[in-house]
Amino acid sequence: MTAVIQATLNGAMMGAMYGLTALGLTLIFGVMKVVNFAHGSLLMVGMFSAYWLIRLTGIHPYLALVIVPPVLFVFGYYLQDVVIKPVFKAEGQVREPLTVIIVTTGVWYVLDNLALMLFGAEYRTVRTAISNKSFALGQYIISIPKFSGFVVAILTAVGLAIFMRKTKTGKALRATSLDREAANLMGIDQYRVYNIAFGLGTAIAGIAGCVLIPFYYVYPSVGVVFDIRAFIIVVLGGLGSIPGALLGGLVIGLIESVFSQFMASTWTEAIIYAIFLIILFVKPSGFFGHKQDW
Amino acid sequence: MKNGSFTSLLAGCMGVALSAALFAVPALAADKTVKIGNVEPLSGPSASVGVQGKQAREMAVEEINAAGGIKSLGGAKLELVYADSKSDPTVGVTETERLINTEKVNLMTGCWNSAVTYPATQVAERYGIPFVVPVAVRDTITERGFKNVFRIAAKDSWWVRDQFRFLKDMQEETGVKLKKIAFLFENGDWGTGFAEKWRELAKKDGYEIVLDEPYPSTATDLTPVVTKLKSANPDIVMLVSNAADAILLTNTMAEMQLKPKVVLASGGGHADPTFLDNTDTNALGIFDEVEWNTDVNKPQAKPANEKFKKKYGYDLTGESVDAYVAMYVIADALERAASTDPAKIREALATTNLTTGPGMVVSYDGVQFDETGQNKNAGIVIVQVANVNGKPERVTVWPKAARRAGYTPVFPANK
Repeated sequence: MTAVIQATLNGAMMGAMYGLTALGLTLIFGVMKVVNFAHGSLLMVGMFSAYWLIRLTGIHPYLALVIVPPVLFVFGYYLQDVVIKPVFKAEGQVREPLTVIIVTTGVWYVLDNLALMLFGAEYRTVRTAISNKSFALGQYIISIPKFSGFVVAILTAVGLAIFMRKTKTGKALRATSLDREAANLMGIDQYRVYNIAFGLGTAIAGIAGCVLIPFYYVYPSVGVVFDIRAFIIVVLGGLGSIPGALLGGLVIGLIESVFSQFMASTWTEAIIYAIFLIILFVKPSGFFGHKQDW
Repeated sequence: MKNGSFTSLLAGCMGVALSAALFAVPALAADKTVKIGNVEPLSGPSASVGVQGKQAREMAVEEINAAGGIKSLGGAKLELVYADSKSDPTVGVTETERLINTEKVNLMTGCWNSAVTYPATQVAERYGIPFVVPVAVRDTITERGFKNVFRIAAKDSWWVRDQFRFLKDMQEETGVKLKKIAFLFENGDWGTGFAEKWRELAKKDGYEIVLDEPYPSTATDLTPVVTKLKSANPDIVMLVSNAADAILLTNTMAEMQLKPKVVLASGGGHADPTFLDNTDTNALGIFDEVEWNTDVNKPQAKPANEKFKKKYGYDLTGESVDAYVAMYVIADALERAASTDPAKIREALATTNLTTGPGMVVSYDGVQFDETGQNKNAGIVIVQVANVNGKPERVTVWPKAARRAGYTPVFPANK
């Protein structure tokens, strides 16, 4: 029983972080209707940014949370503006511009290989004040970096939800996600909204990078590992849904952690994919997704 | 593709022919030479180990030739003839054929990759050419009843055998009895292969297996596995891991405050240069199994390593040590054979009993082949990660004869 409760705690913490990695993906999809294949690479960029910042300046890993996400916002903003927008413009009449998927795949390869060229293929971790530290909750052990990651993930999701509901920019993002032609007619600059959405998605990948780096290692293709999970989570939770991403992440994290206590951990991977397929059959729109009318 | 490799083969042959033509005259003018054919992966995925082996061979041959060559052959010099296998069995076979038929080598060595060595030794056996295998660990290479195949390094199954020998020896040495054992391994070929042999030997030695768990080495989080390990509460944890998961496991175990009495890894990820950088003090106390370590307590090891490092810029590795030793085994056999006739060399190799000389940088006592051609003394080194001058370092602890002078292993590592 002890092990199961311990596994539940771990699963919830790790799951919230999986949810965090999926949040940017679901946001970009929700607004732009683009499956961003470069999302894992943006996470990698976030992790490397946090890694070098902490490594070179020696600042506390959570101070990086204030620096890395804004930088990545700017990076994502201009990445969309310079690389993706022209393709959108060329395919302006298409609802789901397929070419954009190919472009994001291109961005993925370019970023991964750039990282490979600059930093090499080896695994890097950075030893920080909180690395491998934990505290005891009764007889259960809670890892400090993972617990902090859990808190940051929840705060990010709540913050994003509030932003989407309460601010003018958030409302513009939502309007565009509902109907971009209508939003255009209402005077919303579609491409500026896309820039902001992509920037936000990238900034969230930066947040994820900052909370992962105190306990996880970074290498150029680290994104692929998280990407696959993020895609499953987004489908599970409902495409474009913020609470869905968080819940989907929790489900995956809990399955991975709790089921492992009763069977070989190699099996949990298979179970996750099986659940993914079942959801696709039974409720393709996921937990919180609404039927898309586009 | 086929055409391409044919062209490159042709180009390679022409290159060899050209260099042979260039060197033919001085070679004839000099004393007698003994030609040793080397098939090694000099390009392709395993090129780095191939080059390590090549450099170690060259250093050994230089030393042997400088010391007067093979005296019983009138000071004959050793000459290395290389062929690149590209880690491809087919290329390995054709290159072995070429070395034997065209280059007329007196004996063969190579090929590092088990998959290449297996068919290449078959070719040599057919021609009756002795084949000294420095390293290629697949058991069956020396288990086919061949007369001409001799292997220096330990075979696959001995890795596991030595892990259990080590556990037994250490328990005897320290008087600590350990009973509960857990297996944790990556779910690939390598991990599952090890686990199969672990089970057998653990039962034989009377251990109680409390956990037998494969894990995917691409896992993002190994906390579930560590949690499971914690509730199994083993004395000994045996691991087979790649680099990323070795790092993650070690750090997660520290985080979850899991301190088994003994953690024993199987090389691979735990021997990766990035492992200590990323785990630092979390790795302290871990035992790991490797082919060789720079600090083995053998008088010849240190000077040989220093010389090698000065020459090539890096420490001797397990692969290069095996190749280095192989050259001395060959020189010793040639000395006793007093002939370049393959059959005579084969006889001399079969009666090898090399325990001294500059080649003895290995952790074990010497080279002596059993009837299958396997070096029966070959063994593996167990190192422990210890705090040396404030930095985690790998220190040789077993076999006892090779243990770093002045170091007492911490066993159990956690009380």
